[in-house]
Amino acid sequence: MDRMTAPSPGFGLGLRPEHYGELLSGPQPVDWLEIISENYMVPGGKPMAMLDRIRADYPMVMHGVSLSIGSDEPMDMDYLADLKALAERVEPLWISDHLCWTGINAHNSHDLLPLPYDAPALDCVVDNIARVQDFLGRRILIENPSSYVTFRSSDRSEWDFLAEMAARADCLLLLDVNNIYVSARNHGFDPLDYLAGLPGDRIQQIHLAGHSDMGDYVIDTHDADVCDAVWNLYGQACRMFGPVATMIERDDDIPPLADVIAELDRARALAARVLEPVHG
Amino acid sequence: MVEALRDRQALFLGGIIDDDAAAEGLIVDDDRVGAAKRIAIYRNNYRSSLTGVLADHYERLHAYLGDEQFDNLAEAYVDGHKSRTRNLRYYGEAFPAFLAKHYPGDGELAELAALDWALRGAFDAADTLPLDAARVGELGDAWIEQRLALHPSATLLPVRHNVAALWSSLDAEEEPPEVEELGGAETLLVWRFGCQSRFRSLSGEEAAALTLLAAGASFTDLSAALIEAQGEAAAMESLAAWLGAWLSDELLVLAD
Repeated sequence: MDRMTAPSPGFGLGLRPEHYGELLSGPQPVDWLEIISENYMVPGGKPMAMLDRIRADYPMVMHGVSLSIGSDEPMDMDYLADLKALAERVEPLWISDHLCWTGINAHNSHDLLPLPYDAPALDCVVDNIARVQDFLGRRILIENPSSYVTFRSSDRSEWDFLAEMAARADCLLLLDVNNIYVSARNHGFDPLDYLAGLPGDRIQQIHLAGHSDMGDYVIDTHDADVCDAVWNLYGQACRMFGPVATMIERDDDIPPLADVIAELDRARALAARVLEPVHG
Repeated sequence: MVEALRDRQALFLGGIIDDDAAAEGLIVDDDRVGAAKRIAIYRNNYRSSLTGVLADHYERLHAYLGDEQFDNLAEAYVDGHKSRTRNLRYYGEAFPAFLAKHYPGDGELAELAALDWALRGAFDAADTLPLDAARVGELGDAWIEQRLALHPSATLLPVRHNVAALWSSLDAEEEPPEVEELGGAETLLVWRFGCQSRFRSLSGEEAAALTLLAAGASFTDLSAALIEAQGEAAAMESLAAWLGAWLSDELLVLAD
């Protein structure tokens, strides 16, 4: 496959303050770390001191939660300036955020709100990605969200929306395999149709995470281990897209580092098995 | 004709923040979960994000009140304070003022909250290089004429209750002492030493001295004010003791 992405740096973890001590105490079998950008968009103190010290030992990627690429209003240039300043400090492999909007008219939901999958939303997102990429001077990654509602005005699938967005905006994708599973359950689509509809040459990173199963629907809580169905889907993604930088994203009920590394090792083993050349 | 995206987003956000049922008209209804319940997932996320960050920022107040009372206050605050900040870290600044307004008879609540917030602010305040003895030595005699300031992490917090003792007990997970009203206003100094947020109680004289420095006074200005207030011998004794502590505590910076 003729990829538009950088070669995979391997298997990573989300950097969480609970693990600062263990990461600083000695080398860990983790190839790279992902930071939540907003956690380090503060003036100084411990967060910035820890960031600098840990960055000295690990490559990093930056993952934002409040770019709000889908808000139909002018971009927040102060936020973008802060994001760019953080990128100059961290020198990340890449920068990502979500296909979503977080607020409008100066009010913020602090959540990754879903977009209607229609032409006006696509135009809005494509224009905003172009602005952000021009400002940052680099391609960004956009992550597929988990969602609980479908807008009446949606006239295409999420994967068709993402594929057209990526082509028109010339951006890359962050594939959250758990989010595909969550949204498939919530909306009743086949996750394999989703994977098949994506432009594999633009997938730079994969997220794996846990969720809360409420029976009739599933909530994307990132507070549990990756479930078997998501592992199966990850195996499919590896088969279809080849080696892609993969990480465990844990945001709540954070276990000791060794437990998260054990889960990451499961991803390594699964990817290795799937990608192993077949000897005849 | 579909409304403009911006208008639809405003309507959807109204469904989340203001419980505006009209937002349900934007989304597909279904028998399994239903439009109302689907939007309620986002409404719950919104409220739990905001009440959750209040519990993080106001950790000792939370411990003091217990889950139920704290949650009631946090919910009431969220009802009246939509988030206008992009970074959740900065939500909740007006919580102490909210408590002072609604619970004037329980003044320790607002003060405990203000102490929590000042400590949270000290934690990630800017990394301005503090003055230390070596730096003062390098500056030579000229340093006493330089305008000074407190480190960006420092706050002078006036209190009327024994919240310093309350906070320390709660931090140690011990039974807090009875609330007491102090004889007069006292001042707590909150700041960051290394990566650690700290606070201590100030005497009235030291609080007045630090207030002058916070306003950009030089050491010469401070000496003059103190000599006038205390006489030369007492002023020199105080200044010598304070300066040593301020420098080793990384509390002072050059203003310019």
